Amino acid sequence: MASGSISGVKSVSLRAGSIGLLLLLWWAGSRLMDDAEVLPGPVTIGLAIGADLAHAGPDGNSAFLHIGLTLARIIVAFAASMLAGIAIGLAMGLSAVLESALLIMIPLMLTMPTILMVFLAVMWFGFSEAGGLVAVMALVTPYVAVNIFEGTKAMDKSLIEMGVTFKARKSLLIRKVYLPQLMPYIFSAFRYAFGMTWKIVALAETFGLKYGIGSMFFFWFNST
Amino acid sequence: MMAQVIMEQVARPGAVSLSTIAVNNLTKRFPAPGAESSFTVLDSISLSVDEGEFVSIVGPSGCGKSTLLNIIAGIESYESGSVTVAPRAGKSDSGSRIGYVFQSPRLLNWLTVQDNIQFVLEAQNIPRSRWQELVAKHLDMVGLSGQERNYPLNLSGGMQQRVAIARVLAIEPDILLMDEPFSHLDAITARKMRLDLIDILTKARPTILFVTHDLAEAVFLSDRIYMMNAKPARIFNEVPVDISRPRKPEDSKILDLEKTLVREFFGVLEAKD
Repeated sequence: MASGSISGVKSVSLRAGSIGLLLLLWWAGSRLMDDAEVLPGPVTIGLAIGADLAHAGPDGNSAFLHIGLTLARIIVAFAASMLAGIAIGLAMGLSAVLESALLIMIPLMLTMPTILMVFLAVMWFGFSEAGGLVAVMALVTPYVAVNIFEGTKAMDKSLIEMGVTFKARKSLLIRKVYLPQLMPYIFSAFRYAFGMTWKIVALAETFGLKYGIGSMFFFWFNST
Repeated sequence: MMAQVIMEQVARPGAVSLSTIAVNNLTKRFPAPGAESSFTVLDSISLSVDEGEFVSIVGPSGCGKSTLLNIIAGIESYESGSVTVAPRAGKSDSGSRIGYVFQSPRLLNWLTVQDNIQFVLEAQNIPRSRWQELVAKHLDMVGLSGQERNYPLNLSGGMQQRVAIARVLAIEPDILLMDEPFSHLDAITARKMRLDLIDILTKARPTILFVTHDLAEAVFLSDRIYMMNAKPARIFNEVPVDISRPRKPEDSKILDLEKTLVREFFGVLEAKD
């Protein structure tokens, strides 16, 4: 933490306070709007969540099925994007050929609009699981890769030289010299990539899938 | 192109003074920035190190000594000449094991002392069954028994360099290349390390090529000294150190030889200017 560390108790109460403030703003907004169709208050929503979890949804499936499917998609797509991103970023860092070949692709992929990628994936793969996975990987992998690549540029060259002098194989170098130095970059990519994955999966479900939180949102959006 | 280190597979019978390291007319150039011509780092360097010998190369900072060690280690290329690294007499495997000690310890700070040593044992394909014994033996040799599970950042600079020395000795090198290994230490620690190095070498006796800019250090440690000047680096003198061991750093014979060599050094450097 840049501004010094904060004690455990203080940290918990600060977090609770910030969530409390959000709920308060929400509640005040709903009172001002005074229209439960547009902005229902936290109490109304809380009760509705309770009711939805207790009863089957409009398609006959429980909310748990939809939530579970969404979470499963997020975990699979996130893991695949992280692994692919780390592998590509590392390969770019290790090979000058791959670096110059792939570096030009990164800005291209990073500027790809999420909604466009989701529509493309639906066009290519239809209403299938593959579409969501491809959309996430196409959008998240380049982000992870560029982070890891930056990390390889910041590595301590003298340690790599030490490993090479002792005739360490590439695989040993990657495990003991490269990856430990890349951990901060992997963690920072992890945070951001997780948020991105969540949003893209929800979007892909909204437009391209039958089950999941996003598909239920779309259902209710259409029926009001 | 990587340097071609020619490993002489066949030990020549009867050859008593076969050099372990033989460098002949070695020339190395770097492309000069912004110029068509290249910049000569090493100019017709010839030197030899016999088995079990301790040889130093002394020269001013930036004269290309580290480049020379890198070429002998086989991690840097060169333009012309030859570098031969012969296997130890009576050894039938594929050539010599070369160990390298750098100016700074270059330890992996996220690994324990023990894991740092095991890293190079794994790199050198030494069977896992021998690891524990090799780690214990060489940590003991450098006086760091009991530090196996400690992390490098908890150790002082001198102790870190000892770990680096234990690490290189653990691969049981035939040849040890040392690049100003004590230059980053304070004078008192460095003095202690030199005495300890001599003591360690009575237990493990590799052939050593030691690079330094410190004449006193070279005289105290070496059997023979090559003196080098810079830009381009040339060897201008070879001096045997005929002082019996064990030596004391303050021995008048050592101080006298150092004085003579310092005078000669400045004579050569001034003549150049």
